[in-house]
Amino acid sequence: MRYIGLLLLVISSLVNAAALPKNLKWESNNSAPLWASPAAEKGGTFTDFILSFPPTLRVVGPDSNSSFRGFINANQLSLTSFHPNTLEILPELATEWAYGKDNKTVYYHLDKNARWSDGVPVTADDYLFTMTFMRSKFINAPWYNNYYTEQIVNVTKYDDYTISVTGAVARPKEELHYYYGLQPTPKHFHTLDDNWVKNYNWKIEPNTGPYQITDVKNGKEIIFERKENWWAKDNRYFKNRFNVDRVVIKVIRDMNIAYKYFEKGEIDTFNMLQPDLWHDKAKGRLYDSGYIEKFVFYNDAPRSSSGFFLNMNDPTLADQNVRSALAYALNFDKVTQTVLRNDYERLEQFHSGYGEYSNPDIKPKPFDLNLANQLLDTAGWTTRNGEGIREKNGKPLTLTITYGNKEHTDRLVVLRQDARKAGIDIELQLLDPSAQYKTIMQKQHQIAMLGWSTGFRPDYWQHFHSANAHKPQTNNVTNTDDKEMDKMISDYDTETSREKRIALAHQLEQKIMVMGAFIPSWKTTYTRGAHWRWIHLPDVPGTKTGDSLYSVFGDGLLWIDKKDKIDTMAARKNQGSKNPVTKVFEQYKVK
Amino acid sequence: MIINPETRKRWQRFKSLRRGYFSLLLMGAMIFASLFAELWINNRALLVVHQGHIYLPTYGDFLPGTTFGENYDWETNYRALAEKIKIEKNGDFILMPLIPYNPFENDFIEGEYPPYAPSAHNKHYLGTDTSGRDILARLVYGFRIAILFSLFLLAISYTAGISIGALMGYFGGKFDLITQRIIEILSNIPGLYVIMIIASIVTPSFWSLALLLAAFSWMGLTWYMRTETYREVNREYVTAAHSLGASHLRIITHHILPNTIAILITFFPFSVAAGITALTSLDYLGFGLPAPTPSWGELLQQGTDNLEYQWITASAVTALSLVLILVNFIGEAVREAFDPKTHTFYE
Repeated sequence: MRYIGLLLLVISSLVNAAALPKNLKWESNNSAPLWASPAAEKGGTFTDFILSFPPTLRVVGPDSNSSFRGFINANQLSLTSFHPNTLEILPELATEWAYGKDNKTVYYHLDKNARWSDGVPVTADDYLFTMTFMRSKFINAPWYNNYYTEQIVNVTKYDDYTISVTGAVARPKEELHYYYGLQPTPKHFHTLDDNWVKNYNWKIEPNTGPYQITDVKNGKEIIFERKENWWAKDNRYFKNRFNVDRVVIKVIRDMNIAYKYFEKGEIDTFNMLQPDLWHDKAKGRLYDSGYIEKFVFYNDAPRSSSGFFLNMNDPTLADQNVRSALAYALNFDKVTQTVLRNDYERLEQFHSGYGEYSNPDIKPKPFDLNLANQLLDTAGWTTRNGEGIREKNGKPLTLTITYGNKEHTDRLVVLRQDARKAGIDIELQLLDPSAQYKTIMQKQHQIAMLGWSTGFRPDYWQHFHSANAHKPQTNNVTNTDDKEMDKMISDYDTETSREKRIALAHQLEQKIMVMGAFIPSWKTTYTRGAHWRWIHLPDVPGTKTGDSLYSVFGDGLLWIDKKDKIDTMAARKNQGSKNPVTKVFEQYKVK
Repeated sequence: MIINPETRKRWQRFKSLRRGYFSLLLMGAMIFASLFAELWINNRALLVVHQGHIYLPTYGDFLPGTTFGENYDWETNYRALAEKIKIEKNGDFILMPLIPYNPFENDFIEGEYPPYAPSAHNKHYLGTDTSGRDILARLVYGFRIAILFSLFLLAISYTAGISIGALMGYFGGKFDLITQRIIEILSNIPGLYVIMIIASIVTPSFWSLALLLAAFSWMGLTWYMRTETYREVNREYVTAAHSLGASHLRIITHHILPNTIAILITFFPFSVAAGITALTSLDYLGFGLPAPTPSWGELLQQGTDNLEYQWITASAVTALSLVLILVNFIGEAVREAFDPKTHTFYE
C-alpha cells in the first residue's frame, strides 16, 4: 500500500513538473500609495460584538455562513489583493504575477517567507490542496464544489513557489484576480474523510493573517491575539496596520443592549447606519463632553441593488405600462425626507457605484401621479371603484409587495398611501426572511422588495438572462425573458476589451430601466459610527471602498491610546471639558 | 320577551355591584363609539356644502378632488379643502370630524421627522407613530378590530367547545373516553408557537387568524361543559324528556344547555380579554394581522423599540391596561352575580 502511495507521489510530481511558459512578463507593485498612519501605536485590547455565537469555526460546510466567518476570513490572506483606494493589484502571498496569453491564466511567484500560524511554510502544495479540498464531497459544500470545478478549472505547480491558476472564461486582467484569486489551505492540518464536518467544527485552522484565535468561550466570547512574529509584519502594505494586541468578540444578543455596553465603555466602537441610533440614541452627556466621537465617512463602492422586483409572469405586471405607472406612483423622495430622515439617497440604477461601468445618464423615474394616471388609462385600468382603486374587467388593481424586514414597514406604508392616489392598491406581505427568500426563489411573489449584495463588476446573466427565467431557484426574480437582452448579456460576458464591456454595460442598464421590472429604491453613500476617544484613526480614517471605519482585521487602521483609555474611563462620570466631536469626511463622496 | 325570574334576579344582583356595572357601561360606550369611529376620527369630512350641493362623504364611495373643483381625480384631501374654504369664504361650508385623520395616512410636518409628540395644535392629541400616523386614530380603530376579533374568536371557540363538551357529557362511554384523549393531546400543542410558525410563512388575514387561534382555544371549555352535562343528564327532567320521545338534539339544546349556560357566562368576559391579549401579543411579535392594519400590538412594539418617544408606549399601555381592567371588573361582577350562594360563611 505504501509503495503504491509512493508511486502515485512520483507520478504526480512528474505530472506537476510542468514547464513554465517562456516570455512571461512578471509584474509586481511596490510603489502604490500607503493608507495607514505612521503615527499608529501597537498594543491594547479592542472589544467588538456579534449578535449570536457562531455555530462552527469552519468556513465551509453546513452552518458556516454566519457573520463570524468574516472575522476568520479576514485573517486568511490571498495571492493578491486590491488597493482599497486605487484598486491597483497589490502583492499579498504572491510577490509577482504574470498573465497567460489565453486571458484565463495568471502565474504567481509565491512569497518564500510566508508561514502558517503554526510555523509551517506556505508552499504550492497548499494551493493545490485548496482545489482538492474545495472539490471534496466531504466538506459538504455544493456551492464551493461547483465554483472550484466550473469557474476555477485548474491550478498548476511549477516548483514549490511557482503556480498558475486557470479560470473557465477569459476576462480582463483585474477580473482574473478577483474571480480566480485563490487562498491556500493548510494541507498538513486537514484530513478529508466522512467525519470532516464533525471533526473540524471547533478546530482552529492555521492561518496566514495577522491574528489568530487563542480562546473560545462557548456562547460568550472569542478572543483573537496578534501574532508576535507575523511573517508579513514588515511588508510594505502591512506596516502600521493591525495595531491592537488582543481582539475580543463578545456575543450580545440584542442591538439595544449592545449599545448600552458601548455607552459603558465595554465596547470601543459602534457602527450606526440605522437612523434612530445615529439621531436619537447617540446623544447626551458622553457625546457633548467629547468622550465619544461621531464620524461620517463617505465611500465610493458598488451599492447594493435594492428595490422592487416585479414578477413579469404575473398577468397584471406583464404590461409594461403598469410597471412604469407603478414606478411613477411611488413617492420615494417623501419617504427619504420623512421616515428616513434624509439619511438615504435614491438609488439610480441596478448597478450603481460600479465606477465607469455604471451608466451616468440613468436617472430613476420620479414621482409623477399625472404620468402614472395616464399610463394606467392607456393600459385599460380606466374605472375606479368606491375606494378609488382602479379596475379592469371588474378586477381591482391590487399589487402585493413581499418583504422580509419589519424595519421596512414604515417606508412601505408611506409609499402605499401615495400609490392609492394613482388608483393602485398595495398590499404588504411581511414574511420571515427565510420564508420570503423561499417565496421569491419559487417565483411566487408579485413584487419582491430586496437588495442583492454587490460584486466586483456588474453581473447581468444571473438576474436578467432568459436561461434563468420561469424556473425556481434562480436569481432572475423578475422573470426577464427578452431575446435582445440575452444577446447583449452574452456579448458582455465574453467581451475582454474594457471599453466595449463598459459600453455594453451602459446599454444593459438602459434596457433594464426601460423594461421597468426593477424599481430602484435607496442607497447609503457612507459609513458612520461612533467611538470612544481613545480609539485613533489615520487623518483619512477610512478607505474609498471600505464599508466600516472600525474593522480591526480587514483594514486594521485603528489604534488604541492606552493612557487616554485609563484617563477617560476615570473621568467619564464627570462633565468633560471637551466639545462634542462629529467629523464628516467627504474625500470619496461621489458628486 | 319573558325573562326568567332567576335571570332577573342575577341581573339585579349584577347591577348592585357598582364597579362591575359601571365598567360594563363604560366598555359598552367604548365599543359603541369605536363602531362609529368614522364619524369622529376620519380624514373624510362629515358634511361639505359646495356650490349649493350637499355632500356627506363619510360613508360610501370616495369623492374625487374634481367634485370640489380641485385638479386631481383621486380622493379629496378634505383638510386642505377646509383650509381653502376658510380662506376663500365663498359660501361653501365644511364640517370636519373631531380628529381629522384616518389611521392609515401619514401626516408629515415640513422640516421635522416623525414621530411627532402630542400636540393639540396639529390635532394629534396623542402624537403620531414612527411613520407619522395619528396614534389616537390607530388606538380607536385598533380597538375596534381587537374587540370584533375577540368576539368572533369567542363565537367559534365557544360553539365548538360547548357542542363537543355537551356531546361528551351526554353520550359518555367510549366517545367520551376517546374525545378526552384527543383533547389532551391537542391541549399539549403550544398554540401560540404554532400560529407564529404559520404566520411567518403565510401572512394571515383577520378570518384565518381567528380560525387558527380558535383551533387552539376551544378545548378548555369542553371540560366544564362535560362535567355540567354529566350532572344534568341524570336529572329527572332529562329522563322525562326522554320518555316523551324527545330527540338527543332537542334534549341537549332545549333542556340541558339552558341549565348549564350560567357557568359558561362567567367565563365570557375573561375570554374576551384573552382574545384581545392574544391578538395584541401576536401583533407585538410581528406575527399578527398584516401592516398597515391599526393594532395595539404594533404600537407597543414601536414603543419598546423607541423608548425615547414615551407617548407611543404610554398611549398603548394605558389603553391596553384600561380595557383589561374593565373586562376583569365586569368578569368579577358576573361571577359574583351568578354565584348561587348569596352569603359565604368562613369557619
